[in-house]
Amino acid sequence: MSETFLIKIDGKECTALQGETVLQVARREGIEIPTLCDDKRLDPAGACRACLVEIDGQRRLQPSCAWKAADGQNVKTHQSSDRVQRHQDVLVSLYMSDHKLDCEGLPIETGNGNDLRAWAKDCSTLKLDPVNAPRVARPGDKNPYIEFDPELCVLCARCTRYCDEVEAVNAITLTGRGSETTIGTAGMRGLLDTSCELCGGCIDTCPTGALIEKKAEKALPEEVTKVRTTCNYCGVGCQMDLNVKDDEVVRVTSPEPGTTVNDGNLCIKGRFAYDFIHHKDRFTEPMIRGEDGQLHATTWEKAIAFAAEGMKKVAQRHGPDGIGFVSSSRCTGEENYLMQKIARAAFKTGNIHQCSAT
Amino acid sequence: MLKKSADREHVLPMLEELGGVTEENVRTVSEKTGVPEAEIWGAGTFYTLLKGGPRVRVCNGLSCRVMGSDQLVADLKAKGKDVEEVSCLGQCDRAPAALDEALKVLDFAKQKRAITGDDAKLPINLAGKQSYDFSALKKARELGTDGILKQIEASGLQGRGGAGFPAHIKWKGVAGQKDPTRYVVCNADEAEPATFKDRETMLRRSDKMIEGMAIAALVVGAKDIYFYIRGEFNAEAAAVQEALKRAGDHVKDWNWHFHRGHGAYICGEETALLESMEGKRGMPRLKPPFPFEFGFRGKPTLVSNVETFACVPYIINEGGEKFKAWGKTEAGSKLYCISGHVNAPGVYELPLGSTLEELVAAAGGYMGNPMAFSPGGASSGFLPIEQRNLPLDFKGLQKAGSMLGSAGVVVLNDTVDMAKAAQWQLEFFEDESCGQCAPCRIGSRYLHNQVTKYLETGDPAALKHANDVGWEMEEGSICGLGMVAHKPLVDALKYFPQAFEKR
Repeated sequence: MSETFLIKIDGKECTALQGETVLQVARREGIEIPTLCDDKRLDPAGACRACLVEIDGQRRLQPSCAWKAADGQNVKTHQSSDRVQRHQDVLVSLYMSDHKLDCEGLPIETGNGNDLRAWAKDCSTLKLDPVNAPRVARPGDKNPYIEFDPELCVLCARCTRYCDEVEAVNAITLTGRGSETTIGTAGMRGLLDTSCELCGGCIDTCPTGALIEKKAEKALPEEVTKVRTTCNYCGVGCQMDLNVKDDEVVRVTSPEPGTTVNDGNLCIKGRFAYDFIHHKDRFTEPMIRGEDGQLHATTWEKAIAFAAEGMKKVAQRHGPDGIGFVSSSRCTGEENYLMQKIARAAFKTGNIHQCSAT
Repeated sequence: MLKKSADREHVLPMLEELGGVTEENVRTVSEKTGVPEAEIWGAGTFYTLLKGGPRVRVCNGLSCRVMGSDQLVADLKAKGKDVEEVSCLGQCDRAPAALDEALKVLDFAKQKRAITGDDAKLPINLAGKQSYDFSALKKARELGTDGILKQIEASGLQGRGGAGFPAHIKWKGVAGQKDPTRYVVCNADEAEPATFKDRETMLRRSDKMIEGMAIAALVVGAKDIYFYIRGEFNAEAAAVQEALKRAGDHVKDWNWHFHRGHGAYICGEETALLESMEGKRGMPRLKPPFPFEFGFRGKPTLVSNVETFACVPYIINEGGEKFKAWGKTEAGSKLYCISGHVNAPGVYELPLGSTLEELVAAAGGYMGNPMAFSPGGASSGFLPIEQRNLPLDFKGLQKAGSMLGSAGVVVLNDTVDMAKAAQWQLEFFEDESCGQCAPCRIGSRYLHNQVTKYLETGDPAALKHANDVGWEMEEGSICGLGMVAHKPLVDALKYFPQAFEKR
């Protein structure tokens, strides 16, 4: 059992566990603190400054994402501190002066959402002249999946930290300095010429939609319905959300980190290889090739019986070792077990293999 | 994220040796060290000295601007030279300052520089003869940890790098850590505009600095001692190496290591300096934890300034009380740098708490009719000349809304357009912001843009939100750079409103 104690946030007594940050306690208690650079899979960076709060005894505002809760601590968020509210108002204004805005003067939303937009709506912002930061993208990056718009980037570095701390791929990095700082790669090469595995985790963690899926329809988050499913590309069982608009899957996103087995992560297949769903060549029912050489729709019962009959005939003609079984990496452990059971128990052969064993 | 790897620490020197950041060099370093290419690229592109390509560098710091650096740039370009305007080179007493392609100082000085004359009684005594008897170190060994700490505490020594934090608390903090591995790091990345005292100390009194570092290592129990010397300071690094050789057996108990800066002002901030030593982008860490508990390689580390260490031998030899008595309003003597519109720019060792009047008197008097001064580098903003009798110390200047910082004093006379001066200083901060946090990254660019707009259009409306943005930079930034970067403009608006009227 961890030790628990009480802290006060905006006057409300909250129970905290040893080692928790102020932000973690606040979130559990339903006290809203805005964040941009926070992702529970990553070490706290305290870089976006959105979550600064007043902590008793501290001269400076402190990032609640990194500040450890301590017994008896008294914390004030923007709800009870004019200082924190003013900080947020001016900070959001600064972010907006460095951001692509729509005709209403609000941060633009892409298919990947934009947390800055909602936050801006909650603040009394100043109209600051655009700063026109010389932040660059990587023109000529021919990778088919990941697109970066520097004008929507807030340099929270979640993408680069994710690539490093979670994936250990280190394909992208903060590069340059000061207002020129941007997200880059070694030599500013396209992602295909780096160690990038195109997992798309950078898109998933981006809070402002500066990173989006290139080929996906640009449907806004509120225009889609999310349908939770299990990825069928392998046996891990990653959970993923099909984003459906007008009965069509327009993209795939990963569930909130910490809620499923894959902790918000997906691989290139899970995240990007969903085109087959609506592909015209896709089989949607079992088929048997007839005497005429053409495929004909049938039922599962008939199809399975037909296949079993065929295999039995081969075994009769050539003996048990005349037949071999290759299972798929897309099968679960249980399915692979059943496959070897068919081979060994039903057909009495040791010829059983699985593609990922090579 | 803490990343421990001895190889990672070699990344930046290797890039420098290979001639800077190029795709090919990055690949080579990655193959040799195992550090991913992207991380090397990211770290390398942070530093201006790793950009590669030989060129003449002309300083565009405040003191050099008022002594005609813009004209010098134009003249050199007219001669067909490849010229880059760079942040303060720490040669303000040679204004307008420039370095040749091999980083050697070029002399275009318009004033005659000077320093305090030889006086054996002075705690640091820049003009004095070096001494390698290391009597203070010997005495320190006899005093033991508690005895030394008692003297340091009695001396009232405050960190000379800018923050003015009491030295004995920092020393005790490191000495009291559980982890047996501790480090001592000398911050010699002097880059605060208008500051060049550490440069002179390294060139002239490395003996005292090294002895002070050895005493510190004795107290905190460190075996490894590091220098982090500004990349442009080649002569200074050589002087320290030479002094270390001469110190010989006196300092053989410790392993002495050299790290060089690679062109980033922010690396003078102690946690950015540690990141840089670890081969990363020089982005300041969140504090807490402070370096005394979590420093170099995550170990307890004492990071102190060149001048702070150089004060220590006197304190041990003569006693803390005697050092303290040197001060006027605060403890000890202080190396003040002065440049701009004075007749003899240079470094002067005066009682801490001396006024601008006293300092200028030492520096040969004002040039022209003084109007404003900046008491502690770009970070201290500007004060009107009416405050010339304010003691230049840590607490008093802070109360006055400014700071002593590194004691890099610049005097401006009435020929200077204060709006222009604010623009120059903001250009510096925009260039040197690390880019990690938004208040500083966006704020310094915003203020620089707006004051430029004002100068172009003459319309004060451009500066309508300057105070709000300045306030947020101070409240919201991660480190000290962002907190003060607004000051040149916000102070100028406060004290010199007539310079920002419609024109």
